[in-house]
Amino acid sequence: MNTNRKITSTWLLWPALFMLVAFFLIPTLDILRASVYDPEFTTKHFVKLFGSNVYLEILWRTIRLSLIVSLICAVIAYPVSYFIVLRPRKQQIFFLFLVFIPLWMSVLIRSYAWMVVLGREGLINAIMIGLGFTDQPVKMLFTTGAVYIAMVQILLPIQIVTCYSAMSEIDFDLMRAARILGAKPWQAIRRVFLPLSLDGTVTGAIIVFMLSMGFFITPALVGGRKDIMMANLIEFQVNQLNWGFAAAISIVLLIATVISVFIIKRLAKTLTRRLVGGGSA
Amino acid sequence: MTRMLKRIAKVAMATLVVAGSANLAFAEDKEITFSGSGGVVGKVSKEVWWGPYTEATGIKINHVAAEAKRMPQLEAMVKSGNVLWDAMEVSASDYPLGVKKGLFEPIDYSQVDPDNQLPADTREEFGVAYAAYSQVLIVRTDKLPEGKKMQSWADFWDVENFPGPRALRGRAEDNLEFALLADGVPAEDIYKVLSTKEGLDRAFAKMDEIKPHITTWWTSGAQSVQLLSDGEVYFCPSYNGRITTLVSSGIPAEIVWNGGAMHKSYIAIPKGTKKLKEATEYVKFRTTSADRMREYVTHLPYPGWAPGLFDGMDPKMAANMPTYPQNQAVQFSASAEFWAENLEAIQERWTEWLLQ
Repeated sequence: MNTNRKITSTWLLWPALFMLVAFFLIPTLDILRASVYDPEFTTKHFVKLFGSNVYLEILWRTIRLSLIVSLICAVIAYPVSYFIVLRPRKQQIFFLFLVFIPLWMSVLIRSYAWMVVLGREGLINAIMIGLGFTDQPVKMLFTTGAVYIAMVQILLPIQIVTCYSAMSEIDFDLMRAARILGAKPWQAIRRVFLPLSLDGTVTGAIIVFMLSMGFFITPALVGGRKDIMMANLIEFQVNQLNWGFAAAISIVLLIATVISVFIIKRLAKTLTRRLVGGGSA
Repeated sequence: MTRMLKRIAKVAMATLVVAGSANLAFAEDKEITFSGSGGVVGKVSKEVWWGPYTEATGIKINHVAAEAKRMPQLEAMVKSGNVLWDAMEVSASDYPLGVKKGLFEPIDYSQVDPDNQLPADTREEFGVAYAAYSQVLIVRTDKLPEGKKMQSWADFWDVENFPGPRALRGRAEDNLEFALLADGVPAEDIYKVLSTKEGLDRAFAKMDEIKPHITTWWTSGAQSVQLLSDGEVYFCPSYNGRITTLVSSGIPAEIVWNGGAMHKSYIAIPKGTKKLKEATEYVKFRTTSADRMREYVTHLPYPGWAPGLFDGMDPKMAANMPTYPQNQAVQFSASAEFWAENLEAIQERWTEWLLQ
């Protein structure tokens, strides 16, 4: 019966599959082509990319920034999602609505809003000077810290929603069962709830990580001079009409992202196994 | 519904026929095709330049909004002998490329500028400079120390006498020139110096001095205006046209023309056009009609060098024009040629330098 349903329902995927091939797979292959054919086969773009440490340095900074942002998002979103899941149904919808509101605003506007808040003559500095905490404005804008704050704020809703939907799937009777079988409250959470909810957290973290890897407006607006992302390099090269080199950077970014995601997944798997294993592991 | 569609189709057909016959009537000598910027520039140009041109000469202008890849397109046309454009805008960096590849007709100055009134440096062999914009230092006058006035890049670099946050554009172009000027290199030698290894090192060494005092490296003109108006920075180079935005929103700011980087745009005639005479006529009109240009700059801050342009112009406005003689005299002419050749190598060093 099961196989029967599978066969008859695959056509449901066709529209999505078509979209994926037409608007993702083919363009990606075209970028791959552009990176090695310019116009004849050449490896010069990749030789240039790996020959200078500027690009590798920026790749490393991009990965590091994305990892930290997704980690902060995961840590903040987890208790928030747990809080929402514990509410009655109607309240859950209300809280999710609150989480969604910032998602409806453009990233550009939210980045500019952070400039207003963190600036020299901005909100926080005005309050701090007004209250006499400081007499000189504190430099918050145009620092790496500002990039973290703005990116976490922008990406946090995505993490919360992913995490929440995984948590809401968990049958809370399982925890009760664990308690009945003699688990202490903390044990029940660690060995039953945490492993079950970790999947959603990791999925959310991966989405946030992938989105971060492609960020460039926010770091350019609120970051310091060292907050250059791979995407900024791509944008610059495209503006110079160096399509080949831009394509090569894109391919490296893509591969780096895929490898990082793979590593994150592996680490998460090991972590889950350890949690389930509990004291005995 | 179907009746409605039929009617629309009929009207469309009729329009096509009328437009087609009109085209035929004018086709031989009464229309030229001009490749120029689209967007606001195109809209204003239509009103200020093309309409009046048709009125004055009877020649219609068929505008083709320029694409990013204009030069490859032009090259293909010239090679195939089927040149669709009769006149075109050419950016300063594209001009040398087009000349090298032989894509332009030489300009007949006995027609365009018979009395030799255009400045010599706007009269190129294959194109006439018709507009300019500058990257200039903009200063928040209310943030200056009592009784002091910022007057040069050396002052911008002088953080002791002129304390306060600063910003620069996050690109090597113009900045390295500013650094050399601040270091005492005469304007006419900038590119000679920059072309040598030592000169480039000298520019970067000067940039090292200012680096810790730069709050941020802006990427778009709008951002530079925002920085100045928020008081995020006090001193910051930007495009000359941006001053209007600042002043009109009540921010006390002024331009330091000294050491500004002037960028020129050219108008040229594609090689092999069948309407050379009419195209030349338009080049003359676009570069020398003072009253048109005076109106144009009330919409867009890109003036040219039409003789008499500043006669009768509001002095306040004239003072904000990069081609105003007093302003032009103290600026340097940015070399698109130098950057076309060296950008790639220098940009890499620049990015590396920013990360240090």
